[in-house]
Amino acid sequence: MPYSSDALSRALIATAVDGIIVIDRRGLIQVYNEACRTLFGYELSEVVGQNVKMLMPEPYHSEHDHYLSHYANTGEKKIIGVGREVVGRRKDGSTFPMYLSVGEGEAEGEPIFVGIIQDLTARKAAEDALREREARLSSILDTVPDAIIAIDEMGVVESFSPAAERLFGYEAAEVRGQNIKMLMPAPYHAQHDGYLAHYRRTGEKKIIGIGRIVVGRRRDGSTFPMELSVGEARFGDRRIFTGFVRDISDRQGAERRLEELQAELLHVSRLSAMGQMSSAIAHELNQPLTAISNYVKAARRTLDQEGPEALSRAQEMMDRAAQQVLRAGAIIRNLRDFVEKRETNRAPQSLNKVVEEAIALGLVGMAHLGVRTNLELESAMPPVLIDKIQIQQVLINLIRNSIEAMQAVSIRELAISTATDGTEFALVTVRDTGPGFTEDVRRRLFQPFVTTKEDGLGIGLTICQSIVEAHGGTIVALAGVPTGAVFRFRLPIAKQSEEAA
Amino acid sequence: MTGKSLIYVVDDDVDVRDSLRILLESAGFGVKDFGGAKEFLAEGVFTGTCLVADIRMPEMDGLELQEELVRRKLSLPVIIITGHGDVPLAVRAMKAGAIDFIEKPFDDENLLSSIRRAIEIGQQVRTREAEAAAAERLLTLLTPRERDVLDQLVIGRSNKVAAYELGISPRTVEIHRAHIMDKMNARSLSDLVRISLAAQSRGLA
Repeated sequence: MPYSSDALSRALIATAVDGIIVIDRRGLIQVYNEACRTLFGYELSEVVGQNVKMLMPEPYHSEHDHYLSHYANTGEKKIIGVGREVVGRRKDGSTFPMYLSVGEGEAEGEPIFVGIIQDLTARKAAEDALREREARLSSILDTVPDAIIAIDEMGVVESFSPAAERLFGYEAAEVRGQNIKMLMPAPYHAQHDGYLAHYRRTGEKKIIGIGRIVVGRRRDGSTFPMELSVGEARFGDRRIFTGFVRDISDRQGAERRLEELQAELLHVSRLSAMGQMSSAIAHELNQPLTAISNYVKAARRTLDQEGPEALSRAQEMMDRAAQQVLRAGAIIRNLRDFVEKRETNRAPQSLNKVVEEAIALGLVGMAHLGVRTNLELESAMPPVLIDKIQIQQVLINLIRNSIEAMQAVSIRELAISTATDGTEFALVTVRDTGPGFTEDVRRRLFQPFVTTKEDGLGIGLTICQSIVEAHGGTIVALAGVPTGAVFRFRLPIAKQSEEAA
Repeated sequence: MTGKSLIYVVDDDVDVRDSLRILLESAGFGVKDFGGAKEFLAEGVFTGTCLVADIRMPEMDGLELQEELVRRKLSLPVIIITGHGDVPLAVRAMKAGAIDFIEKPFDDENLLSSIRRAIEIGQQVRTREAEAAAAERLLTLLTPRERDVLDQLVIGRSNKVAAYELGISPRTVEIHRAHIMDKMNARSLSDLVRISLAAQSRGLA
């Protein structure tokens, strides 16, 4: 060895980054290196010969002497050769976490204990920060209303948020490690592994970064509509897919309620019109009926008297009664004319306003489908003579058809325009960028029970046509340029006299 | 029925009005008919025994007419007829003192019996009013002291208590009482109380 062992050990102790303390069997400090000075803040002169417990906070401070005597008496090692995390006490009284390893040696026939001290303050702080970040993140995940599910490339669930637990009815522990397809009903259940394999092979994105409405399956087997958006993250050569799931049953419920409400509104308005009408009928008819009864009863009384004068008075009364019968008949006839005219509730309306309202109604519950709407309204549009609710039904029907049809394509634009063309009719055009229809379908479009939808009844457009035609208008379906469907219908412009009415 | 009772008919429907007039005349009533409430009120003096009014009329309807009669303190019995069986309207009419609320078209006997009842009620009212007027006149004959004694007797006080209340002797009360009975033409104490109350009711009305 080129150096003396004494010089070498002094150099080692002095330059060590870790603190080094040597105590004797009574606990008195014999060696205290430069690193310790930085750690504890005591000068060498302040600690040499002092009991090492001065560097410890309570309860170690009080117990250390006992540890030493216990070891001297029993030889039972608690820390020697083991090392552990303990707390040190600086000169200023503050404490800090440290890692202490203790070895036992012998010097001049006496046992000595060597302590190597590593400051853990920085590491602890980093650990705390990490823990805090994790806690914060998980509290965010816990409170986000969207369910969050992470899977690996093979579809195995890695994490399942509390919102997901609530939504699907599974505990996270039941789902973790399972294939994600357990949360899907047929046919997705059977196809999902194939989707993943397809994506791994081709990199072709079908849902990632797009989001769509799919159907989820709860633990109890029930299914519900959900909006799913999927993000992808790479960790080295590993890929994680994170799905954000939002339950939209409520939104669709709201939509259904809206429809029910509209139907009810129509029903109620019809009923109340009928109620008003029948009350008017009752009052109108009661007048001649009262007069008839009065005349007939008066005649009956008059006939109790004898003589030609009474007879002629009674005849006069019967004639008046007969006139009242004719009056009642005329009321009923007028009423029938009135009912026929009032079958629909037509009034001069602002077509542009009717269209704007219809778009808002038509988009309820469909705003998330990513459809861009365009309105081109004729500014000098005269009022049209229409039943507003019926025409809005036509518009909503066309708008919803278009939105549904455009789910199949990536560019989704819905344009509605109003215009005049110098005739007695106003034009409304609904144009979409969907797949359109074949010439064969286009020709049969307005026939009842013709549909291109899987769950369609094929009566929507038939009703639209009958409403428009009842207004004296026409409706046509055209092929869009370059693609899409175009529906155009005409409605009668209100005449001046009707406007005043 | 001695002499013809005069019935007022107010209805804006000329045919209903005409048929009502003919019906009531055939039943022995005298009839005066009006096309609206305003024309009727323009009469000013009402010698008729009963009013039959339609509820639904332009300008002033039957209920408003009825309320106007109450406001003018005209004690003319009113029968409301309506082409429109409407419970709230019926309640309002009856509360305002209508004799009946009859739905069109009606059985003639229903209307006629209501009219007879209205005439009867009208006569009772007139009798009561005449009595009250007479009693009121009699009250004016009493001295202030006799009025004090009468007030005590009417609320049921005995001679003794009345004497104590008024600070006079029971004997004096007895003398006053005899004078009161005499002046009021009362045969008994209960007779006295009745006459006194009749006069007061008119005073309150």
